[in-house]
Amino acid sequence: MKTRRDFMYGLGSSIGSIAFTSMLARHANAYPGPGAQALHFPQAKAKHCIFLYMEGGPSHIDTFDPKPKLKDLHLKEFTREGVEQSAMSSGKRYYVQSPFEFIKAGESGADMCTLWENLKDCADDMCFYRGMQVDSVNHPAANYQANTGNQFGGDPGIGAWVNYGLGSENEDLPGFVVLPELAQPQGGAANWGNGYLPTSFQGTPLRPKGSPILDIEPPKGITAEHQRKNLDFLAQLNERHASWHPGHDELVARMKNYELAYRMQTEVPEAVNIDGESGKTKEMYGIGQEPTDEVGRRCLLARKMVEKGVRFVQLYVSSWDSHDYISKAHGSLIPRVDKPIAALIKDLKDRGMLDETLIVWMGEFGRTPDNGVRGDSTAYGRDHNPDAMTVWMAGGGVKAGHTIGATDEIGATAVENVHHVRDFHITLLRLLGLDDNKLTYFHAGRFKQLSQFGGTVIEDLIG
Amino acid sequence: MKFTPLFLALALPALLRAEEISKGEKLFALHVKPLFAEKCNACHGDEPDKLKGDFDMRTREAILKGGDYFGEEVLMPGKGGESFLYLTTTRTEEDYEMPPKAADQLTEEQQWWIRDWINEGAPWPDDERVHLIQEKYAEGVQLELSEALSEDWQNRRYKPEDLWAYQPLTRPSVPDQKAAHPVDAFIGAKLDELGLKPAPEAEPGILIRRATFDLLGLPPTPREVNDFLAAWEVDAMKAWSDLIDRLLASPHYGEQWGRHWLDVVRYADSSGFANDYERPNTWRYRDYVIRAFNEGKPYDEFIREQIAGDEITKREDPEALVATGFLRMGAWEHTGMSVARVTRQLFLDDVTDSVGQVFLAHALQCAKCHDHKFDPVPTRDFYSMQAVFATTQFAEVRTDWIEGENRNGMKEDKALFQLRIKDNDRRKAMLKKREEFYEAKWFSERGLPYRSVAEAKKAGLKGDQLPQGRLFEKPEEFALGPISKKWSNRFIWELDRYEPVAYTVYNGKTRKPRGNYGRIEMPEDPMKEGELEETAILGGGDPFSPTEPVKPGVLSAVPGGLEYAIPETVDGRRTALADWIADPDNTLTARVMMNRVWQYHFGKAISGNPNNFGATGKKPTHPELLDWLAAEFIEQGWSVKAMHRMIMLSDAYRRSTNYSSPGLLNEKDPEGISYAVFTPRRLSAEEMRDSMLLVSGELNREAGGIPIRPDMNLEAALQPRMIMGTFAPSYVPNPKPEQRNRRTIYAHKTRGQRDPFLEVFNQPTPDLSCEMRDASNITPQVFALFNSEESFDRALAFADRVLKEREGQSDEMAVRRAFMLAYGRQPVPAEIEASIRHWEEMTGIQRGITFEPRSYPIEITRRAADERTGELFSFDEQLRIYEVYEHDRQPHEVDARTRGFADLCLALLNSNEFVYLY
Repeated sequence: MKTRRDFMYGLGSSIGSIAFTSMLARHANAYPGPGAQALHFPQAKAKHCIFLYMEGGPSHIDTFDPKPKLKDLHLKEFTREGVEQSAMSSGKRYYVQSPFEFIKAGESGADMCTLWENLKDCADDMCFYRGMQVDSVNHPAANYQANTGNQFGGDPGIGAWVNYGLGSENEDLPGFVVLPELAQPQGGAANWGNGYLPTSFQGTPLRPKGSPILDIEPPKGITAEHQRKNLDFLAQLNERHASWHPGHDELVARMKNYELAYRMQTEVPEAVNIDGESGKTKEMYGIGQEPTDEVGRRCLLARKMVEKGVRFVQLYVSSWDSHDYISKAHGSLIPRVDKPIAALIKDLKDRGMLDETLIVWMGEFGRTPDNGVRGDSTAYGRDHNPDAMTVWMAGGGVKAGHTIGATDEIGATAVENVHHVRDFHITLLRLLGLDDNKLTYFHAGRFKQLSQFGGTVIEDLIG
Repeated sequence: MKFTPLFLALALPALLRAEEISKGEKLFALHVKPLFAEKCNACHGDEPDKLKGDFDMRTREAILKGGDYFGEEVLMPGKGGESFLYLTTTRTEEDYEMPPKAADQLTEEQQWWIRDWINEGAPWPDDERVHLIQEKYAEGVQLELSEALSEDWQNRRYKPEDLWAYQPLTRPSVPDQKAAHPVDAFIGAKLDELGLKPAPEAEPGILIRRATFDLLGLPPTPREVNDFLAAWEVDAMKAWSDLIDRLLASPHYGEQWGRHWLDVVRYADSSGFANDYERPNTWRYRDYVIRAFNEGKPYDEFIREQIAGDEITKREDPEALVATGFLRMGAWEHTGMSVARVTRQLFLDDVTDSVGQVFLAHALQCAKCHDHKFDPVPTRDFYSMQAVFATTQFAEVRTDWIEGENRNGMKEDKALFQLRIKDNDRRKAMLKKREEFYEAKWFSERGLPYRSVAEAKKAGLKGDQLPQGRLFEKPEEFALGPISKKWSNRFIWELDRYEPVAYTVYNGKTRKPRGNYGRIEMPEDPMKEGELEETAILGGGDPFSPTEPVKPGVLSAVPGGLEYAIPETVDGRRTALADWIADPDNTLTARVMMNRVWQYHFGKAISGNPNNFGATGKKPTHPELLDWLAAEFIEQGWSVKAMHRMIMLSDAYRRSTNYSSPGLLNEKDPEGISYAVFTPRRLSAEEMRDSMLLVSGELNREAGGIPIRPDMNLEAALQPRMIMGTFAPSYVPNPKPEQRNRRTIYAHKTRGQRDPFLEVFNQPTPDLSCEMRDASNITPQVFALFNSEESFDRALAFADRVLKEREGQSDEMAVRRAFMLAYGRQPVPAEIEASIRHWEEMTGIQRGITFEPRSYPIEITRRAADERTGELFSFDEQLRIYEVYEHDRQPHEVDARTRGFADLCLALLNSNEFVYLY
């Protein structure tokens, strides 16, 4: 029996897939998902998004937003006021200058610290935004807000919304792929969950080690032929059973799923295999070199996924939470991501895919211009800062070669073109042709949306 | 309790004379003004400083003036069809669709109100006159509620059908039907209305399976099936009635129905957020719930214990202290990075909303920042309810063990757990040595005579004379410190698991929370330290923007709610709230619970959103049936078991899932609300795992106790995961099969590390209250059920069991036994033939495979980037449980014939017949 509810939920799920959103969508271009009857903004360029998530909160002050003033203030005492006191903002505090030098990169003269040896060549393709603010100073709440729009876990991830809106281009691959590190981020899989959207929209993590999808391979010793025989026997059982329950459509859908899974067993490992890429490409991404190998592989995989029609790829790089020793911590993290990310931009550009692929780089918040004295040591680092951060975007119709918004002279808070992260989310959807106010889903008594309660597009970020 | 009439009776004002009221005025007062208030003013008037597009809609003059984007063309009196005020609502003006949210868009009728009002000259009578017109002509009903934030909202009118849940509960008369059972009479009346005949009764073999899964979450055993079929032959109705009684008396009943309750209250064994600390004692709440269902605890008592058990029993009954753990089921933490008032507010909002959803089917958080958009819940009510909890504080207190609590295996588990602590202590000691070495080195390099910082400090050195920061050199040295420190802290707290500690609350002042890294002790004098909280309405829901103070109270829309008094004393607030909820006159409580019970029996609720009885929730398909059930529930002394029995004795429950003419059914009942047929369902995640263990003969039916740790996909179990500043320790299973192969409800539920098998089969996240589970049909389920080691293990144990039980008998007997265990029926001849053929073929293939014993990781090396240095480091974690791990049956231990049979068993466990219930 199918009730109406089943039907609605079943758009993606009963046909059976992680996010093989619709059988109708086989390789069709921009098939509108169940959330959108048609693209809300047909003129939008971006069809895919690669979301580079820097977990821990990268310091804007030490990456893309230089603050020479801090050189004068270095080690002078810092005081913070306000009612929202946490342990972080209390006690004795001092200013910290950036240990890094900065250059003006590209014709646009973008500010970048000198550690961005490769990314500096992409400056004119990038749009830097310094006006963003978030609500929470805590990692999991801020992670959830950055990734789902809601500070509390349980809401759909951005990738889930995008797939709900845009639908799928490739029925044999999930529409929302997550490329996590070996370690799960704080807050775990709820950062890429489907929330209250149908399960078919959840992010599928392709694991960096072991089997890309859990149990995609049977235990050792069981061959494909072996499985085929078990599947054929299973089909016999199911066919007879289905004949006894003619009105029950789910039975057939579930049988199809077994066949699809059998095909995926060979297709997914192929899709994630980067052996076929040229040596030059691998070199460009820093694969086979340290410290770039690990991030490089995943950046290359992100490009492959987008090529195959995956709508939304989210890549996690953790450990940006540099409370201590920022010169060491950021000093070794930036080189881990610099070359791979620069390669991703160049590679997409070379292949003519940058225009239709939106790249986003952000963390859950920025960092403070100051640090607290912990114990009796001064380990020059920075604490969490929800009031200032830098995010950047490239490709996909963004205003490339511009820096939008500004922070104050010490980088403590955004002062120009200031927007809450919800407006950034709305802008991100807009670049993908979706209107946050129209991309809604009814749940728990109201129509919910990525931005939670609506907001405004940050027009200056759009090219 | 005394109730006032639900609707305000309004006297007709003599002042108003009908002939004076123009059509335009009437449109404005009745429709246009309320519409502006509801849909427009949030951006165009409520906050005069933040007018969107500088367009103000508070007065006629302001509208005539226009805004940034439109001038006088916005409102041209007499020209409705050309005025942009109308055109924007038709959503034909690109980029100027109003209201902007598609979900808010006006109906055609609403658009025309605006157009016609403008055509009539757009008159704008003053408030007094509007009020008079409304009183005379308005449709819909007003409610007497507590004071709202705005007058417009206060005067809002509701469609009567949206207020069904606030109507006093009366016992409707049973429709005049041939049916003997009241449930069937109500359903029969609807069937007649739809012009449908019900499907016939399902086969008895189907029925015992349906009832056993429904009440126990497990399949019936072959013997139970045979006994039932024999009894059915003698006296079908007696057999059915006896079966229900037997099932209701089973200790597994509480496990199944307790699980439903835990879905709604969001049970978990960890706290979520950054640290996701274990909650070492919540398992006692889980067992409390199971016991409550098994013992047939009256629902009103169940409510009181969970909301106010500590108060009611003067903290003397451990059971009641454990029960109030309910109030703390939401995710919560307070770390060094947290702001006290924010985390306190997090709890207050959570508990208010949770009580609303769980007991009253009201999503109260919708009224946190503004009066509820759709339902008669003013923001004041949200904070009045919240004020009930203003004196409620967290504590983990030592109690006696409760009778019936299972303490088996604690000693053994604790001993193993202490090995982890020892390994961690060793790591700490090693690190200390490294630190000493580097300190000594630092001083010696500078030609100073000290061996340590402590020594140098003693000698009077300070500041620059001492090393700055940690002196480590290798990234792992930096990383191991926080890891071992955090792990110590976690492990020591987790030792509480073996102690009779209640995860509970007390009343008193709100203390400034310390970092929540261990048991929260209850202060000796709860009124000594801290602040006695005074609840106020929070502007925009922000804890730093209190506005008007409020007194504790309840929902004013519920009859009697407005007058209901909750004491402002420190103690007793929750008791008063619980009494109000558990009062038979509360129009929500019994309906909410009966709606849930019905849903779990039939796979759909009478009112389609069991957590939302408001205007946006689905309306009841059988309102009178729901009321009748609710009334009966109260009359039966709030006995849930009595209601199961009553519902399951109906014809509707015993109906077949097949219909003779599906086309007709689809045509007459497209939404599937008729109950002409029974709706099949997929097993829940827990039912699948438990059933597999039962048919494989591995299930240990032991009840209760500290959480078990089943085998989890090893890659997922060992998946490193971040907690605040470091990594969490790995998941390890229990070492013995009988410890881990117990029912899934007893499995440790960590918010940040869900069992992928359960998750993929839609076990809900404990972050949200789950009113009804999804039963999706997605490809990773195939991987979990057809490819996983766990499934292969079950299939092998299943095969091994059957072949041992049928040793020396024919192949056919083995096949018959396997079908009987898995499906509760004998195979048909074609199935026997196909099965034997498959078994033979697979045995041949299996002969060609050599299986090695599986190896388990006693130590794993973790590699990750350290956030202090940004560099990659690695460290080893000991998993000593695998030194004593006793594996389940493995392929290398059995012959090819058994493995061939296991292939057949794997197919049975994957088949639709095993996974779907009819």
